[in-house]
Amino acid sequence: MSSPRHAGASGAAERRIHVVQGEYHVTGEDGVMLTTILGSCVAACLHDPVAQVGGINHFLLPDGDAGANGSRGLQYGVHAMELLVNGILQRGGRKERMEAKLFGGARLAMNLPDIGRRNAEFASDFLRREGISHRGGSLGGGGARRIQYWPRTGRARQATMVEAGRELALKEIRVVAPPVDMGAVELF
Amino acid sequence: MPAARMISVVVADDQSSMRSLIRHGLSQIGFTDIREAPDGDSALKALVTRPAHLVLSDLNMPILDGLGLLKTVRETESLKKMAFIMLTGSGDRETVQRAIQLGVNNYVVKPFTVANLKERIEAVLGRLQ
Repeated sequence: MSSPRHAGASGAAERRIHVVQGEYHVTGEDGVMLTTILGSCVAACLHDPVAQVGGINHFLLPDGDAGANGSRGLQYGVHAMELLVNGILQRGGRKERMEAKLFGGARLAMNLPDIGRRNAEFASDFLRREGISHRGGSLGGGGARRIQYWPRTGRARQATMVEAGRELALKEIRVVAPPVDMGAVELF
Repeated sequence: MPAARMISVVVADDQSSMRSLIRHGLSQIGFTDIREAPDGDSALKALVTRPAHLVLSDLNMPILDGLGLLKTVRETESLKKMAFIMLTGSGDRETVQRAIQLGVNNYVVKPFTVANLKERIEAVLGRLQ
């Protein structure tokens, strides 16, 4: 994780924290933006609007080898979600108030198993099972994404990474959200 | 050598996804008598209603957390000899120390494999068949 400071929209210094694969970060600190880059991985962005605390995780696989002699990582997705939820609870959040946005789960190569779809299904199912409100996001597709998330407000922004020659260019798209009361959620 | 199918287990965790995962792992080891509780208080009620041989408990739970459950189990005459394994995160060293003081039998650091879980259970109950 890195944390350089940049000028935010208001001109105030904004601290960026990059969350890499297998990590998570939770904060209630003002002026913090969390970022991550996703392919087939999924990031859950979770936020409690009352406690004004939130965070994101970034997991690679929904689960590992569940065999009796399985390798480490039985529950990558479950573990990543638990750490994120517990991190918010420990900072005063309440599960019943949490709002989630899910990103990632792309299928980057058609000749490989569709791990992205499994990740996306796992994350959506997790929210349903735990009773956490799924407020939108962007799952699936065939390209990588860069996510920016402001954990205090729950605001999220996504840029898709499209191939332009040999360079990757960033293209901002609207976050797809379900047709429900969006409250303070900002769409891009 | 105890048979896993003869051992009753109560799993306490506030996340149903985690409970399902643990249940799945326990089933693979051979356990069949598995009860689930979403918090320490519900686990305690389940144990008072019908004691178990083994409790697998998360640390962070609402109402009564893992340490509270462990403390109450160890202070309750009918439950105090029960095997108790705590499920912890990697950053919970101080809490693990507290759990040891309260009489926890073993602990498992998440994320864990079925093999890890079996190993920790066998360290407490003996080799399972």
